[in-house]
Amino acid sequence: MLILIPQSAAAIMRSSGPWGRLSLRINHPERFAVVRGLSERGDGIFPVEPPPEHRLLGSYPPVSTGWWCRVHADLHLMWLALSARRGMLMKLDAFKAAVPNGYKAPGDPGYWAITHAPGLKDAYPEHNLPDLVAWHVTREGAQPISVSVEPEATGICQLKDHWPVHELQNTRIMLIGAGSIGSATAHALAGYGIGHLTLVDPDRLDWHNLVRHTSARRHIGRSKVTALAEDLAALRPDTTVTPWALDVIEHADQIRALLADTHLVVCTADGVAPRRVTGHLARRAGLTAVLACVLQDGALGEILRLRPWPQHGCLTCRRQSLAQAGGLDPEPALDAGYGTGTRHRPMTAVGSDLHLVAQLAAKTAVATILERAGHPDQRLPGEHALLGLRRQPDWAPPFDLGHTAELRWLPATPPISGCPTCEAP
Amino acid sequence: MGIDDAFDAFQKTVNEDIDKTRLARERRDLFKTALLSEPDVVETFGSGSLSRSTQLKPIHDVDVVIVYDPDEHPEWGNDGPSAQDALEHARTQVNRLLSQTNGTHANEVRHTLVRNHAVKCFLDDPEDPEAFTVDVMAALRQEDGSLLIPEKLNTRWVPANPEYLIGQVADHQRDWPHFRPLVRVLKQWRLTAPVQGRIKSLVMEVLALNCMPRFGNRSQALKTFFTAAAVRVHEGVWDPAGLCGQIQPDLDHAGLSDAFTDAADLAERACAAAAEGDTDNALRLWQKIFGDDFPAPAAPAKPASLITGTPALITARPIKDAPQG
Ligand SMILES: [Zn+2]
Repeated sequence: MLILIPQSAAAIMRSSGPWGRLSLRINHPERFAVVRGLSERGDGIFPVEPPPEHRLLGSYPPVSTGWWCRVHADLHLMWLALSARRGMLMKLDAFKAAVPNGYKAPGDPGYWAITHAPGLKDAYPEHNLPDLVAWHVTREGAQPISVSVEPEATGICQLKDHWPVHELQNTRIMLIGAGSIGSATAHALAGYGIGHLTLVDPDRLDWHNLVRHTSARRHIGRSKVTALAEDLAALRPDTTVTPWALDVIEHADQIRALLADTHLVVCTADGVAPRRVTGHLARRAGLTAVLACVLQDGALGEILRLRPWPQHGCLTCRRQSLAQAGGLDPEPALDAGYGTGTRHRPMTAVGSDLHLVAQLAAKTAVATILERAGHPDQRLPGEHALLGLRRQPDWAPPFDLGHTAELRWLPATPPISGCPTCEAP
Repeated sequence: MGIDDAFDAFQKTVNEDIDKTRLARERRDLFKTALLSEPDVVETFGSGSLSRSTQLKPIHDVDVVIVYDPDEHPEWGNDGPSAQDALEHARTQVNRLLSQTNGTHANEVRHTLVRNHAVKCFLDDPEDPEAFTVDVMAALRQEDGSLLIPEKLNTRWVPANPEYLIGQVADHQRDWPHFRPLVRVLKQWRLTAPVQGRIKSLVMEVLALNCMPRFGNRSQALKTFFTAAAVRVHEGVWDPAGLCGQIQPDLDHAGLSDAFTDAADLAERACAAAAEGDTDNALRLWQKIFGDDFPAPAAPAKPASLITGTPALITARPIKDAPQG
């Protein structure tokens, strides 16, 4: 059995006393419960739960089934000793002796009790004992029960001594493309603690997306960005998300305006044209763009980092350099002109391969932000990463990866003269 | 010697000696007071690195800005000959007030030259190896608080806001007391950085404003600075007030970035060595960055590591097998 104690319930037991009644929601099959209300002494029980959307065991009825009380510190030492040995009970007299006020003799079914031992840190500084523990009290004796007290901080700030949380919480990233790679990239960026995400994608979640997308079936028909924003709000509350159901080409003016308030752009959109437009807009805004995709029907993952620097070429220039070297074959059927040709080929990659690329894209974006903020442990080895997903023989260099999961980093190539993106307007 | 002591000792070799700084301030104040007595002068203030306390030794010049009353000079501020007129006017005033032979206020200035932005005033014996000049700039105050400065060669007036930088530096210093001293250290470092051509000292000062943290010890801060500056120098170094554009468009950006990257590598290793309690190696690594004026014990005769291929200065550290899931 496990009893969960919300922060607000813990605060009341720690600050008032010496005893009161307890109301729990109990999941018997899974053997755990959560405190839903308590009283001070014999007064009425008042609720201590968060609003319904964050409520635990909300579908289980509240049961007024026990007591809480202040106890001597020694009792918690006993709790620890007994917990280590299965099935051990504490004699009822000994339990009773540790409760100076408000002890209740158990009836037939027994009751749950939470005990609060103030001053534990001073009494047993070496044991790191919890000041709130639980018991099942029956006529046979008191049995120790595990508890979990909600900590004061549960978000990314828990990592602040080990990870530059402050810098990343103040970082704003725009993510263009909320599809298979994009949705996983958004989750990964939020996991790194990025404070604000602007999501841009005009598409709706459809049946065939489910196999690769991070959003669940219940979101089908909604725009991908709003579904994703809702998922992230539930999962990563430290990241605020602004969804825009916009097309980066059609609504370039709006995107340009949003970039004024952005530190870095990630593009996970399908097709050549949206990637080009993203790269162009980012460069004009003086921002780095990280482009992620899979090539060869999902056999190869690729991350491109486009820096707005004079020696670094834009997407078009970088592609042209690869094509000239015989590494890449531009596909004329794609994006033959706006509104003509097919936008992209049918997706054939497996979801988790796409998510692997997404994780690498998010790491690249975050490392770019952190290196610029002065973290030498976040420097990347290059500007262009290739990741083997389903390696095949005889790919031309630099795509000639020897094995699956092989990661190859390459430098940037310079601008090609006459490029309208690279050369200042 | 601890890391802090070593930085303190090194700082002393970088700082201008106190007498020299005092002399520079006296000269600045002399010019400010003398020119403020003129009926067409509204205000005078010191500018340049001395006013921001980021000057590097040796002091070459002291900048003084003279703000004139526009009603007294209605023709000033428009492009054309008035740019040179304003500088000539300031020069006449300096000579009348401060000339060695017949100054009415003091007898300090041996001779003057009109340069592009300022009147260069020579006070020292030309043979004096520690000679430095006072550079007098004429200016008009604009409605937004910024200045218009005459440019003789282009016969025009250009906007500038030197007080903005003074304020930014003071602000950073208020937050973090190592800021000004380390700006001087970085200005010194730039003189030995392997880049094509020179690096303007203002480039280092603005990069420091952008990349130096406002907390922590000097080692950590320099590690952060070198890492961030290696990236940000690629973006160009711009007037913080947003008026004068790129500070040094012909700067060797790639070369300076490489130099910062090398320094960041060494600084990172120095911080790691210090964290391991290996102060001697940390000091040696800082010495590799800043040169022999940085105090450090002699390097051990034999490399501490038997593993080939590792840098001789530091021992490779094994990874602890303490897995987390
Ligand atoms: Zn280009």
